[in-house]
Amino acid sequence: MLRITAGKVASAMRGSLGVTSTRVIAVRQHGTEESAEAFDSRYEKYFARDGIDGWEIRKGMNDLLGMDLVPSPKVIESGLRACRRVNDIALAIRWLEGCKDKCGDQKATIYPYLLEKISPTLKELGVPTIEEIGYDKPELALKSVYDI
Amino acid sequence: MALRLINNALRRQLAAQLPHNAQVGSVASVHTLDKIGKREIVGFGWNGTACYADRADYPMPAVRFREPTNEINALRAKEQGDWKKLSPQEIKALYRASFCQTIAEVQAPTGEWKMHLGIGLIFTAAAIWVAVLMNLFVYDELPVTFDEEHQKAQLKRIIDLEINPVTGVTSHWDYENKKWKN
Repeated sequence: MLRITAGKVASAMRGSLGVTSTRVIAVRQHGTEESAEAFDSRYEKYFARDGIDGWEIRKGMNDLLGMDLVPSPKVIESGLRACRRVNDIALAIRWLEGCKDKCGDQKATIYPYLLEKISPTLKELGVPTIEEIGYDKPELALKSVYDI
Repeated sequence: MALRLINNALRRQLAAQLPHNAQVGSVASVHTLDKIGKREIVGFGWNGTACYADRADYPMPAVRFREPTNEINALRAKEQGDWKKLSPQEIKALYRASFCQTIAEVQAPTGEWKMHLGIGLIFTAAAIWVAVLMNLFVYDELPVTFDEEHQKAQLKRIIDLEINPVTGVTSHWDYENKKWKN
């Protein structure tokens, strides 16, 4: 989870956006409030679990990408390593696409920050970024079923 | 006698319509597992059924997009090793084997608004045509009381009758000086 209340990213964003704080709210778990760090480490451990299989990775990713937050770099890295363990590079790229999409209308500020934090892992695993593989723009066109 | 015949015929027809081999709890197989062919089921998707769709809100579908072929299996074997050894084309092939569209393609604008705008304008133009033709060919001439001279005479009569003298038309007429107030 991206909680940016202090640090150079926050001040840079303040300068460029004029926003005072872009904190993402901590997740509430049916009454008990969980801190952002606890949430992050919980999902890090989830993806880092030995013997996790593709099914559980996808379930965890879909759940995370359904929540109202941008996954923090640590969680993204943990997800990428999980993809490496199940030998699925397509899933890794899809995970990155999903995380980029979650930045919403703040892509210009949050996404470079995420890339900066996870690029060591990307290089280590050999996962291309979305831009490197050319999937940030549409590559193929699909005819609508209503036009066939 | 005839009723009994019809009854039996109906019963036979109904029985023929019942699903054969209907097992308990096999609704999912009837609906989706038969339709995915040899595709590998890889996840929960969004509701547990084994179907595929590209959704920005559920990026990881339940099945892979393509059925396994020899090329794809060869790439999968290569995928077990170092990913740095995969070329971009191979990575793209692996991606398209698992997914139909990228998220960027899902969210790309379709330009459909142009069709909607065009059709709206066509109907607007047709409406304007109808209005013009109605005025030209259907409607009668305006009565003579609509011309300038008659309107002036009507206004003079309104002022003479002091219609609406407090807040209306004649409140703006200066009766002493016989002209409009400013």
